[in-house]
Amino acid sequence: MILERLGKELIYFDGGTGTLLQEKGMRPGELPEIWNLTHTEEMVDIHRQYFEAGSDIVLTNTFGANALKFHSTEYELEDIVAAAVVNVKEGAWLGVHDGREVYAGLDVGPTGKLLKPMGDLSFEEAYEAFREVVQYGEEAGADLIHIETMSDTYEVKAAVLAAKENTKLPVFATMIFDEKGKLLTGGDVASVVALLEGLRVDALGINCGLGPEQMIPILKEIMKYTSVPVIVKPNAGLPKQRGGEVYYDVLPEEFGEIMRKIVELGASLAGGCCGTSPDYIRALVRKTKELKNLDKRCMPPKEHTIVSSYGKAVFLGEEPRIIGERINPTGKKKFKEALKNHDIDYILREGISQQDAGAHILDVNVGLPDIDEPKLMQEVVTELQSVSSLPLQIDTVDVKALEAAMRVYNGKPMVNSVNGKQESMDAVFPLIQRYGGVVVGLTLDEAGIPDTAEGRAEIAGRIIKEAEKYGIQKKDIVIDVLAMTISSDPKGAGTTLDALRLVRERYGVCTVLGVSNISFGLPYRPAVNSNFYTMAMQAGLSAGIINPMSEDMMRSYYSFCALMDYDANCERYIEKYGNQAAAFVSGKQAEITLKSAIEKGLKEEARYAAYELVKIQAPLEIINEQMIPALDTVGKGFEKGTVFLPQLLMSADAAKLAFAVLKDELAKYGDTQQKKEKIVLATVKGDIHDIGKNIVKVLLENYSFDVIDLGKDVDPETIVEKVIEEDVKLAGLSALMTTTVVSMEETIKLLRKKRPDCKVMVGGAVLNQEYADMIGADFYGKDAMQSVYYAQKLLKEEM
Amino acid sequence: MDVWPVRGYEGQMTAMDERTKEAVRYLGYGRHAVDDKTRALVQEVFTELEQAAGPRIIYRIFELQTFGEERVEIGGLEIRSRSLSRNMKGCERAVMLGATLGVEADLLMKRYSVTQMSRSVVMQACAAAFLEEYLDNWQKGLAESQRQEGYYLRPRFSPGYGDFDIVHQGEILRMLDSAKKIGLTMTDSSMLTPTKSVTAVIGLSKEAVPCHKKGCETCDKTDCRYRR
Repeated sequence: MILERLGKELIYFDGGTGTLLQEKGMRPGELPEIWNLTHTEEMVDIHRQYFEAGSDIVLTNTFGANALKFHSTEYELEDIVAAAVVNVKEGAWLGVHDGREVYAGLDVGPTGKLLKPMGDLSFEEAYEAFREVVQYGEEAGADLIHIETMSDTYEVKAAVLAAKENTKLPVFATMIFDEKGKLLTGGDVASVVALLEGLRVDALGINCGLGPEQMIPILKEIMKYTSVPVIVKPNAGLPKQRGGEVYYDVLPEEFGEIMRKIVELGASLAGGCCGTSPDYIRALVRKTKELKNLDKRCMPPKEHTIVSSYGKAVFLGEEPRIIGERINPTGKKKFKEALKNHDIDYILREGISQQDAGAHILDVNVGLPDIDEPKLMQEVVTELQSVSSLPLQIDTVDVKALEAAMRVYNGKPMVNSVNGKQESMDAVFPLIQRYGGVVVGLTLDEAGIPDTAEGRAEIAGRIIKEAEKYGIQKKDIVIDVLAMTISSDPKGAGTTLDALRLVRERYGVCTVLGVSNISFGLPYRPAVNSNFYTMAMQAGLSAGIINPMSEDMMRSYYSFCALMDYDANCERYIEKYGNQAAAFVSGKQAEITLKSAIEKGLKEEARYAAYELVKIQAPLEIINEQMIPALDTVGKGFEKGTVFLPQLLMSADAAKLAFAVLKDELAKYGDTQQKKEKIVLATVKGDIHDIGKNIVKVLLENYSFDVIDLGKDVDPETIVEKVIEEDVKLAGLSALMTTTVVSMEETIKLLRKKRPDCKVMVGGAVLNQEYADMIGADFYGKDAMQSVYYAQKLLKEEM
Repeated sequence: MDVWPVRGYEGQMTAMDERTKEAVRYLGYGRHAVDDKTRALVQEVFTELEQAAGPRIIYRIFELQTFGEERVEIGGLEIRSRSLSRNMKGCERAVMLGATLGVEADLLMKRYSVTQMSRSVVMQACAAAFLEEYLDNWQKGLAESQRQEGYYLRPRFSPGYGDFDIVHQGEILRMLDSAKKIGLTMTDSSMLTPTKSVTAVIGLSKEAVPCHKKGCETCDKTDCRYRR
């Protein structure tokens, strides 16, 4: 069994196959996987050569064998995969002369497509493609699954999950890094290690992209964080082009020499990638088999507590971290409203503004009675990770919502929370085991919250012990000792601080705390909160769940970091507060009317003017007398060609901020808002360029339309369903290229059939009036303002 | 004091660098003077892109053959296109390239479309100009090295120009192995992902042929508001 040998000895992989296939006569453009069936002898011979050279694991010729990449009318994927496994076994039979145990590794490469939201491949589609191939591989008798050459954390997650959930085989995963130690999609080494370890791969590492020398710094970085055996499979140096031919610049001897260093640094599995051949593997074996301590490859466990997003890792335990608490409906009228109205943009803005304010992790709670929480949680997590690079803390008591979110999360999330109740641990720990994550353990159980520090520490101990049963390490548990309001329990703060210290000392785990509970029921809460926050950090709080928009809290945070030497040369503190005096002066806004501020596109001035104005004038009057006229002026200028798109949108952005101020005021009077006309907007199926649609959306919203934005790459059916469900009279569609105008036409046809009374306006780069007429649209908007005018004419004048 | 002392057309054109001019053109200003606020935003966004985006390029040189007026074969890939044939006339080889700003630019644009649409639109324009600038700089180096081998470069020509069909994008990406090498992929409808990406071919000939500068001027759509 390969698993028994992992980490206890050095295991050799094979090398590249591309060059060997070409030597055997494969033409460029041919699908290499087909050779498993058409050129069996040649394939077996290549595998044999590697076994003879000393490889213990030889990979099947199935790198591109997935339904998304492999398109053949002649051959079935299942037959290809089955033959590929047999070919490796044949090669072993012919090539292993010393009786050693060897393995056929099912090679799984990327789909060649970019996943949503940046591309058009959904996570579940990617999962399905991988599921198919790994199942074929296991049936055919592969000994392990080797997922390699991945450059996207999201795609590798889909592949690993597919392998773990559908087979019993060991799973290895390696990724391509560039010389800066980054994935093509931006992820760093620590975030990749956190993700893959969370998903419980049996070995992880790096392949392709670089030569052996360039991989050394990345290997060192990997070794810092990982506790599982590491695979290194470099190319034969860097690619060079001579004439029309690509070649690599490191020869076998040199390759073997550098690989020896790599093994000494701790790699447990070594082989080659592009440009390497059996000669390279022979050199690698020769240079490393005499090395001492090869039997002590066991990886010392690392204790870093890491959460990650697609792009970065956040470490807990040293410098205190900020978990932004604002994405949560509790006690927030506007947020509840946004959830009910499915106003995802509002939630996203809450996330982005916290990131801008200095948060390191975002807590996400969308729980409301009568809401489909699993669906909404999954959607919000998906959308948030497309606009923010911060790791997320999934905060819910609904286990279904938790799983839905963890599955689509691109990284290793934080999970809020589990507690000492058996029922809670039975439900949450299996999910951590399956998807990976750092879980918050609340120190309460069936008997409630203990009122002593010792009592809370005991529960923490029980949580940690129970987690062990699931193989969840201590580093992946952070304890919340709970802050109780001092207005009802005068000793509450003291108990919490004692418990913080106790838990840190006794178990060495990281801690979190919802800080602001402490002041519940008291006046002027920020004063108490910010002071308690400092005390908690002093007592060992790893991450406070706080409001980063609160200046009091941030002042405590930056001061604490400066005081405790977490802020080298007080740089961040100075950056933040160095211009404080100046900022107060400029805080006095220049006298400017709201109308003029919007016309000039001055955001802060518009907000301030609206704020001042609303004290003396009714919101609806302000809209009609100042805002609409300003927007009209700018719109007309745009039509005439004296105002340009960026200016038009700066005005729109300014108006949006002013509206937000007025909306708060309107809300005070209850439901006095005028009924808004609904418009559905979508970028059609197959099209991922949605900027035009987004421009139209912003302008329509300024003119008080209720825009239902379905996003990009939207199926005709989804658009029609929404139009019917919301009883919408106008749909706006955008498409960029001729290739996607087809889906626009399809959408219009379906709308006509199912909802003939809904008008359709269209826009986009390739469209013109003629084209729009041809596909049956009611209106062609040559620019964004035209769409507004059309909507006004159609919907407002009718009333 | 005005940070951007730009007043009127003359001063502006001398003060603006090439990529700023291009970005402003993409924003639809045509030959109008750009306002100070937009111009400041353009500069800010370029700085942001420089920090966030990681432009990458992959290219390979292939043998090229032309057959008649409308058929070209590059490294075994057959392309039927009059405009490409015209562009490649007299060439023996061609450089095939793919370049991308990466997912970071897309993420930023998406982010600003939620918080500040004006910035998202300006970023869209700046990202396009930034990528062009990156390619221009790279191409200068290529021209030099090719000169030493006795070849001259033709202008970059991309699928979608003239009658060079956009569906060839997929074949070009495959020939370059671009998904693996630089993370450049394509949707089912032949759109490049990440969106701020380019594929192109550059003809190599032994003779220097004086030719128009870039793709924009070769386009038949003379009433385009974004025309150079």
